Amino acid sequence: MGAERRADEQRLIELMTGYQKGNMRDFEGLYAELEQPLLRYLWSFVRDATTARDLLQDAFLQIHRARHTYTPPRPVRPWVYAISRHAALMHLRSRRRRKEQLADDQLPELPVPPEVEKLADAATLHRLLGGLRPQAREVLVLHHLLGFGFEEIGQALGIATGTAKVRAHRALKALREKIGAGTGGHS
Amino acid sequence: MSSGSLPQSLRRAVEADLTPVRPLLPTWMRVLVAATVAALGLAAVAVVLQLTLRPDLHQIPRWLSWGCSALQLAIAVLLIVMALREAVPGSGLPKGAAALAATAGVVVQVVVGIATWVHSPGVPLLPGRGLASGLGCASHDAAVGAPALIITLWLVFRALPVRPALAGLLGGAGAAVGADAFNHLVCPMSDLRHVLVWHTGVLLGLMLLGWGIGTMWERRRSPRP
Repeated sequence: MGAERRADEQRLIELMTGYQKGNMRDFEGLYAELEQPLLRYLWSFVRDATTARDLLQDAFLQIHRARHTYTPPRPVRPWVYAISRHAALMHLRSRRRRKEQLADDQLPELPVPPEVEKLADAATLHRLLGGLRPQAREVLVLHHLLGFGFEEIGQALGIATGTAKVRAHRALKALREKIGAGTGGHS
Repeated sequence: MSSGSLPQSLRRAVEADLTPVRPLLPTWMRVLVAATVAALGLAAVAVVLQLTLRPDLHQIPRWLSWGCSALQLAIAVLLIVMALREAVPGSGLPKGAAALAATAGVVVQVVVGIATWVHSPGVPLLPGRGLASGLGCASHDAAVGAPALIITLWLVFRALPVRPALAGLLGGAGAAVGADAFNHLVCPMSDLRHVLVWHTGVLLGLMLLGWGIGTMWERRRSPRP
């Protein structure tokens, strides 16, 4: 973990501790720090900007109700992302029960990891990312886009650190293969 | 600090309930609480049901009687540690590790049952009395495991398990294996039909009960379609 990342994490721990003590400004600070990365993460589940915003609010309500389950000085990010992931999965499950689906042309663009940005044009990348399995896409987003270490991914997803590494590697490989297949192997 | 993007409805919900909270105790302290309550509960059940050590205990090697009970207790504590960790978001364990620990609990119980039967046949299973003695032992197993199950699941669901069925299953397995560590020294019968049907049955039943409670808890929390 880089020095900047460690400083960020330390700041999050301080905000979370203040929030547990009942300080509204610390909650606001936590929200401000986590809003954008969480939105991108939730977006990768639902691929709908409005739903992602609703989910973000739902996730923060769950975080609020469960704020006593955070034990300092553990890292805040895996705790927050595990709760947000749960909110997203609950939403998807409820949507499946309602048999509600978005048409392909309604799907917004997915964020593209910088490692693969140069491999194909943006439209192709978005289409191929959308075609990845959700598990693979999730690890790609967390590691390559949001800068999570594999240990943090393991904690947030409840998987072993090695499993997180393997998933990220396979996802990137699958994406490269799809790009290669789409461009006749000249990627 | 900018907080302009904080939605008003979220702000109102948080401000309405911003009382200071005390963070959960560390896992080892919660395990200590669970173990203490479980031990006190077990002692109370043993006194009420007048449970005593099996009469042929001296025929069973010590490594198999007390040694294997200690091993089962260690596995039970490990399972409860896993359940309580699984209850806190962001500290969940890989499913493989959870499955391995729960399977180890069942396998050790079966192997200890077979090894005990090899060393001492115990009180013979009387024809026509299998059901009665089985139900008696099953109710003892359930009563001995109940305090551990209740306190573990209470601690689990007081937190926020994001995989409640898994947390419940681990809690149920911990309580069941802990109860078997005690009953292994108490039940006078070694007959494998009795051990595998009733004692292993209760062990699996308590695991399933934990899993079922976790599943119901999750359904109650899920948004309605």
